[in-house]
Amino acid sequence: MRVILFSWEYPPRIVGKLAEYTSALATQLVNNKVETYIVTYHGYLTGLADEANGAKTFRVANPVRTHIGVLTWVLTLNQEVERAAANIYYQANKQVDLIDVYDWHFIPAAVSLKNALGIPFVYSVDSLEDHRALGANTPFNMAIKSIEWLGFYEAEKVDVKSDWMREEIVRIYKVPREKIKVISPTADSWIKEVLELYKTVVAGGKAK
Amino acid sequence: MSQALSVMMLSWEFPPRVIGGISPHVYFLSKSLVKNGVKVYVVTCDFPGAPAHESVDGVEVYRIDSYKNPSPDFATWVYLMNLNMQKEAAALAAKLSDKIDVFHAHDWLVATAGIGLKHVFRKPLLVTMHSTEIGRRDGVHTATEKMISETEAWLTYEAWKVICCSQYMVSHVKWAFGLPDDKLVMVPNGVNTQVYEDVQGQDCASFRLKFALPEEKNVLFVGRLVYEKGAHVLINAIPKIVDKVNAKFVIVGSGYMKDQLSNIVKSMGLEHKVMFTGFVDEETLRRLQSCADVSVVPSLFEPFGIVALEAMAAKSAVVVSDTGGLGEIVDHDVTGVKVYPNNTESLAWGITKVLTDEKYRNSLRENAYKRIQEKYDWDKIAKQTKRIYEGVLGEYSKSFWA
Repeated sequence: MRVILFSWEYPPRIVGKLAEYTSALATQLVNNKVETYIVTYHGYLTGLADEANGAKTFRVANPVRTHIGVLTWVLTLNQEVERAAANIYYQANKQVDLIDVYDWHFIPAAVSLKNALGIPFVYSVDSLEDHRALGANTPFNMAIKSIEWLGFYEAEKVDVKSDWMREEIVRIYKVPREKIKVISPTADSWIKEVLELYKTVVAGGKAK
Repeated sequence: MSQALSVMMLSWEFPPRVIGGISPHVYFLSKSLVKNGVKVYVVTCDFPGAPAHESVDGVEVYRIDSYKNPSPDFATWVYLMNLNMQKEAAALAAKLSDKIDVFHAHDWLVATAGIGLKHVFRKPLLVTMHSTEIGRRDGVHTATEKMISETEAWLTYEAWKVICCSQYMVSHVKWAFGLPDDKLVMVPNGVNTQVYEDVQGQDCASFRLKFALPEEKNVLFVGRLVYEKGAHVLINAIPKIVDKVNAKFVIVGSGYMKDQLSNIVKSMGLEHKVMFTGFVDEETLRRLQSCADVSVVPSLFEPFGIVALEAMAAKSAVVVSDTGGLGEIVDHDVTGVKVYPNNTESLAWGITKVLTDEKYRNSLRENAYKRIQEKYDWDKIAKQTKRIYEGVLGEYSKSFWA
């Protein structure tokens, strides 16, 4: 199996808990014989690199340096994420089984790759704009929510860490409950469940 | 190529959505490419009442959901719209029976969609730069303007070829984004002569009476009444012209300088010689252009100068200021008269010369019309554009992407 993880943070760039989590996940995936790539952001350490854990990273920077907010920053970074993922895809003889996307930042790239190349994706949700923004509904928050909605709509499966989060996604975005899988990162069966989820998605075949 | 060349055009406007000059440009270019055997798909923003998919003169037009939630600001909306555009264009390109050979983007307004499509499908991207943020704002001053300008730079970097509509724009874009010479190519904007043929033959004498006395020559200005269009230069030249020839000056258009301009006219005691029409409908405009003795374009800055081309297509003699793209359109003493920009003496001299010498005027009109047919004909422009696509595909076929 060949998998690409999309995450806006990955060591050495650590913003929150996601960097540590995706790094642990990559290590475990490699240990379970999954060919693992991570496409992530870095301001200057760009390009393809081999990681100590056996995964490969492809770091991209934003070609547009001046921004007026996180939205424009994200929406111009996604094309570089697509370029990196497309490079992996074409070099691997067009064989990428799935993309696992962490939070909303790189949903646009995943949606575009799915529609263009038929690569299915899993949307792994760490947090939601509704909780981060405490219910604020400015055009800025709405835009982020619309990207989250797009992610839920286009993803093959949604991966969350708790039952509470699953119910919140059902409540806020009306996503069918069976589309969402709860996998606790602290459970002993964690990596086994992640691999099972991936296998379900891959067995579903090409997206669309 | 066994199969017809197929291109996907990305444009934020396409008729009936008309905001600026890109919409008619993409429409005429696409339609003329189809006539030259190119398969054209246009992906553009939706518009109330226009269908999501239709075939327009052989062009397959797809209108996407242009993101209708409230947006924080215009630039952010552009990027959000591009997210939808890319998603729908990707789905379309993936399911089409004929593969897309090239993507052709128009301005930064579709930059991120075009760049993303290029990479996921690994097909060449071309861009037509109709204008630049630096040119529009006379430099970049705010974070938004810088961001847009950097997006334009990125788009031209990702493009295989950058098309500009005038030599002036070629050198401007080359300077603005530091591009190599061989990446830039000039293809002029076209003008549709058919619409003028439709109004010609209609009676000018009675139509002109709505604007001027029978014995007055007609001098026409068409343009927004803003500083860079130079209507004030024309108004200041009027006394020098009416000294020598009896003429009426018809000013078509509106803008922030309108009140100021009519006050100047009043203070000069020239109200009987100048008529401000405001906006006029398409047909009236075409008839005005067809019936004018001279059309004047006194701009101080002009990247292309489509209004001069339209006047030439309407078989009107033209007097233009020698600036930007405007100076390239007119061949002095052959297809029109070029005068010094922002110079009332020079402008008065040019207009007077055209109005007082009928033989000269007629030769300018004939030559100008011929030049329009030779150089600014959409069919010729489509052929040139097709050759650019073929050249790019030839280079592409030798690359590791092919």
